[in-house]
Amino acid sequence: MGEKMTQRSVWEKIAAKLSKRSLWMLHYCTGCGAIELPPTMTARFDMERFGIGHMVTPRQADILLITGYLSVKTLKRVVLTYEQMQSPKYVVGFGSCTINGGMYWNSYSTMKKLDQYIPVETYIAGCMPRPEAIIASFNALIDKIDRGEANSWKDYYKNYDFYKENQDRVFEGPIETYNDIKADAALFKI
Amino acid sequence: MDYAKENSIIEKMQPEFKDASFRVVKERRIEVKLPSERLYDFAVRMQKRWNFLHLSAISCVDWIEDGEFELVYHFWNYDEKVLVMAKIRIPREETSHFDTLSNLWQPAKFFERDIHEMFGIYFDGSEDMERYILTDWNGPPPMRKDFITREFALNFYKYREYEPQWLKDMMAAGEGNE
Amino acid sequence: MSKKEEVRDYEIFIGPNHPGIEGNFSLKLKLLGDKIISAKTDAGYLHRGFEKLMEERLFIQNIAIVCRICVPDPDPNENNYARAIEEIAGIEVPERAKWIRTLVLELSRLASHLFTIGGHAATTGLYALPNWTVADRDRILELFEELTGGRVYHIYQLPGGVRRDFPDGFGKRVLEVMDYIESRLGDYDDLAINNALFIKRATGIGVLTKEQAISWGVTGPDLRACGVASDVRKDDPYEVYDKLDFEIPTQTEGDAYARMIVRRREMEQSISIVRQIIDKIPSGPVWNKIPNPLKWKVPAGDAYVRTESSKGEFAYYMVSDGGRKPYRVHVRGASTTQGVHVLENLLVGSRIEDASQVMFSLDACPPEVDR
Repeated sequence: MGEKMTQRSVWEKIAAKLSKRSLWMLHYCTGCGAIELPPTMTARFDMERFGIGHMVTPRQADILLITGYLSVKTLKRVVLTYEQMQSPKYVVGFGSCTINGGMYWNSYSTMKKLDQYIPVETYIAGCMPRPEAIIASFNALIDKIDRGEANSWKDYYKNYDFYKENQDRVFEGPIETYNDIKADAALFKI
Repeated sequence: MDYAKENSIIEKMQPEFKDASFRVVKERRIEVKLPSERLYDFAVRMQKRWNFLHLSAISCVDWIEDGEFELVYHFWNYDEKVLVMAKIRIPREETSHFDTLSNLWQPAKFFERDIHEMFGIYFDGSEDMERYILTDWNGPPPMRKDFITREFALNFYKYREYEPQWLKDMMAAGEGNE
Repeated sequence: MSKKEEVRDYEIFIGPNHPGIEGNFSLKLKLLGDKIISAKTDAGYLHRGFEKLMEERLFIQNIAIVCRICVPDPDPNENNYARAIEEIAGIEVPERAKWIRTLVLELSRLASHLFTIGGHAATTGLYALPNWTVADRDRILELFEELTGGRVYHIYQLPGGVRRDFPDGFGKRVLEVMDYIESRLGDYDDLAINNALFIKRATGIGVLTKEQAISWGVTGPDLRACGVASDVRKDDPYEVYDKLDFEIPTQTEGDAYARMIVRRREMEQSISIVRQIIDKIPSGPVWNKIPNPLKWKVPAGDAYVRTESSKGEFAYYMVSDGGRKPYRVHVRGASTTQGVHVLENLLVGSRIEDASQVMFSLDACPPEVDR
């Protein structure tokens, strides 16, 4: 998912160094993994020393953390939230339910593979992951941004038809999106 | 063991419900099997006369081989501290019907709505039978026994490809499938 | 000359992506000015179909998934599942295993109350209290990790006993953690519970009278804050609660502040119960082995078991038809009454800035409603 940018301008490199230390995580508890987020954010495993704070509105957030499984009803809201976030944005899949369904693999109402619906940057393994694992994966994400390889948000514009076909199939009909994806893609010259 | 308290409660209830069968299961648990048309009278007397003020839950069991649904009502008494499980059977159809208890007990509203969307039983006289949890679901009522969730999930959703050699060997030998 | 303006009502959604909502849950409110005139709850965002999943797995395989039904307080689920099977099949549990199960239940109640107290204070703007209580709760999660291997989901209580015995020196470490938490209770009082601003914000919010609470099916600390001294541990005793000495705290006002006081006093009772358990626990085996767990059949029958979780009465109704998989398991979460219709009734008449506090003080946990 991350293509290597062989030629970055000096300004892009400086921007990457500054933005990697100031990421805002959207406060959205989508599944049962959210119980390990308060210990990560508060005094014991302090996440704020890396510059990651929590943000309440998707319009001003950078990281979307999908904590665990997603039922189809929540998946609709997550897709709308993802499209409202401003680029560049990063999705982190938390737990084994985003990888292949986890322990609800034969359930009629949870989705099995998060990659089909929105592009994912990194995964965290576990059920559920410890706070140290969450911080280690955030550090890996910070390194990826520094090297210029965290570009999965561009994949959404390039392969929009693939994502939209999967979404419509599982929602059994197209949903109303309020954001104009094609115009956004033109803005980034994709 | 001598179940004095439970037996005295049964003696209070038995005279008016001669066609019901009462049984003491163990300490603090009584089981009653009723014909389905007498349930509403039983519930009114439970609340107003015998002081069973708490409706703990309403459960539904799908006996597909008998062709019936079984509804179980759990009542609890705060003073005597005894639980009564009242069981009735209704015929199993595409949309079965039964009377509601939601004008007597407010907790019944949630359980009846839940049973309606999961099993397909419509409770007549209830104010609100809209879907609560499965708002976008278009399939059959999922808790019925003829809905196999594994087949549905394997057909409807896409899974990740993962076929390592040890898994292929195990499946070829016939193991790993329950 | 004043122009007569038409005042109309409007509708807003407090949707699933919101820090003022506990978990993944949404409310549809109709407002006139800033007073709420009607409210509807909308759940189902966390639905996994647990009751159907449990019917398609063996009895021994279900133990791994049953604890995920209630996320902040997972141990009453395992306890209910194990006791339901023991009641149907007539299995005896060794004495030491019952004492260990009670210890695990009380530690889980402490951890959940610490979480809830912090969340309640955060809705009034006092963000220092959740920072303290969540960090202190981590010490209890370390004890769980030492005993069972997992911080949040334990998979520890099996039908027939518990999985393994205490490690060396575990009793001493439990008592140290209890001393530490007891010393912090005074700090929580000074910061939040005796704080004049918090008292002013929390009194008179979401008032439940005694008759309303009983007729709406409310259980747990919310019922005890209205004056009814009812607790499943005393009324329908299970495990070793009839051999322990503890009280049931009650208040009479029935508002948000009274519920906070009841939870705070329940934490003191839990600490004293844990100390009694470590003092009096007998020795012996901890598990009555199930012969051949993959081919084990439970005889036909049914059972209704109830536990007192930190949110109220938690009950399972299990039916078995003599096979290797359960025929029907019905989960009655504690928040099915409090989080749905009681919340809708209490929100009518309050103001929009108190909606979040009403929800957190009732402690309505969405995964229990959705299963």
